[in-house]
Amino acid sequence: MSGEDEAAGEGTGADIVYLPRWRARGSHPGAHRGRDAGGPGTFKDQVSFLRLPDARRLDLRATLRDPFEGVHVRRFEARVAMEVWALVDLSASMRFRGLGDRMALAGALCESLAASATRIGDGFGLIACDSGIREELYRPATRRRAAASAAASRLGAAVPSGPSAAGLLAAAARIAGRPKLVFLVSDFRWPAPLMEQVFSGLAFHDLVPVLLADPAEAEALPDWGLIELEDLEGAGTRLVLMRPALRRRWLAREAERMAALGRLARRHGRAPFRLAAGFDPAALSRHLLGG
Amino acid sequence: MSALLADLARFGAERPALLWLLPLALLPLLAAPRRRAPFAALAAVPPDALSRGLAAALSAAGCLAVAGLVVGISGPYRAGERITQTGIGAEVSMLIDRSGSMNETFAGRQPSGAEESKAAASRRILGDFVGSRAHDLFAVTAFSTAPMLVLPMTDRHAAVRAAIAAIDRPGLDYTNVARGLALALGQFGAASGDASRVLLLVSDGAAVIDPRVQETLRAAFAKIRPNLYWLFLRTKGSPGIADRPAGEDTPQAAPERHLDLFFRSLGVPYRAFEAEGPEAVAAAIREIEGLERDPIPYVALRPRRDLTGWAYGSAAFGLALLLLAKLAEVDLARGQPAPAARGPERRMAA
Repeated sequence: MSGEDEAAGEGTGADIVYLPRWRARGSHPGAHRGRDAGGPGTFKDQVSFLRLPDARRLDLRATLRDPFEGVHVRRFEARVAMEVWALVDLSASMRFRGLGDRMALAGALCESLAASATRIGDGFGLIACDSGIREELYRPATRRRAAASAAASRLGAAVPSGPSAAGLLAAAARIAGRPKLVFLVSDFRWPAPLMEQVFSGLAFHDLVPVLLADPAEAEALPDWGLIELEDLEGAGTRLVLMRPALRRRWLAREAERMAALGRLARRHGRAPFRLAAGFDPAALSRHLLGG
Repeated sequence: MSALLADLARFGAERPALLWLLPLALLPLLAAPRRRAPFAALAAVPPDALSRGLAAALSAAGCLAVAGLVVGISGPYRAGERITQTGIGAEVSMLIDRSGSMNETFAGRQPSGAEESKAAASRRILGDFVGSRAHDLFAVTAFSTAPMLVLPMTDRHAAVRAAIAAIDRPGLDYTNVARGLALALGQFGAASGDASRVLLLVSDGAAVIDPRVQETLRAAFAKIRPNLYWLFLRTKGSPGIADRPAGEDTPQAAPERHLDLFFRSLGVPYRAFEAEGPEAVAAAIREIEGLERDPIPYVALRPRRDLTGWAYGSAAFGLALLLLAKLAEVDLARGQPAPAARGPERRMAA
């Protein structure tokens, strides 16, 4: 698609290339292979003329080959549009700044998504949640490029403040309906029950978990030194004496968390995409096409 | 418990009003002046006992620093006190003759060259005696015509030696032993019951004791019951203690003999040493030293002690710990370069 030609490596200029896991349903003409026949798409099958009385698409070869002298008509796949949704966690932990800025990353991802989706005629919708849905950032799915990118840039300027991400459950209920491609953007620092609920609430859609990580949380930790950590979600402060042994335990704990998230995400469709320290649309495209 | 309270009660401060600031020492429990690194979720940090202990220690160091500064500013001290302790020794009241004849040598001349006057010899030997045992108590009284209180009963041997060092100053006038004895007896404290008490009379002559005064002295000796030692520095040729006079045997004719008789009649342990030279004096002193070996309770005066240094010292210790912690602070992701922007993507095979 067009994104590959433009992929110059600088942030939002490149398109995200995505393929849904399923044949899209719907009647809006668009860029994706639909479940229904009827359109200028690729060849789908042949049916009897009595089922589809369309003389323009008579398949002469099949008709002549038929020993029972039935008349056959070619059917083609419909190309339909679908909706791409970004569900963004705005709990206070998203305010974390290490080597990168989480909200800036999430904003860049959403802008790129909005541009990529609207360019090929898909709708882009955005829901931001902390403990409830942040209505001022809500954007129902739209094909208008300006509206979509305005919603995405509003998100980039938002300040995460909520104590939890429980609003994602309400967001899952809000986008119920036809299957959609859903990007779940979060750092996934949630309690395990909420994690399970959100993933199963979105299981009907093609769910792409986007894990916002930061090297400063794990592999870039110093070997030695004192750090006073302050929990962004209000769980107090803790003094930590960094030393190689503790760093190893810390990294092991992070790896275990990643593995658990990976297992959960794969059970519900796709492996999570790790977004750390710089958004690269081409990497996301590779992930989406390969995974 | 009460002993502990009594100990606590001895502590005081010069500006106690400032101690109202002490609750400030709890501030480090509320907040620490450390750089805070905002972090997404503390649950990601593995539990670590060492870090917890260190946090507690640093809070304690902060409290210690503030408390030490406040206490230091308020001027803490421990009040002085009197402590009764027990040692081996005796209460020694020295009664030293300062009459003019003490300035002469044992030969009865003015000292010249290497010769030593009686006063200088007794100064030297008594000075050694004072230093030899730690818990002796000494009082020094001098007498000539009138008694002089030189030093009350004390265990400060430096002061005693200084007092003894002063006895070879040129002496005065005559020998009036009765009033001297009364004052020397008065030097013994009333309290200490079982202590061994020694009255050491150093003189080179004697005098008549008025019979009226004799009764008073007898009463005082009976009450205090000291061991009495008379170190008689006899000038060559002068009558000794035991010498009967040629003529009439009256106190006026032989005051030494009659003073000796008076001492014997007191009913207290008594010995007289007749010394005709510095060696004899030293031998007599050694003998006295050997005789007087009893446990003695003595009162040590512990002076008021300024505790400001301790307070500031502990504050400095706490501050040093905090400073070390401050210097050890790092950021998350210290020393790691920000990841470089990725180069242009290669074309992807569709």
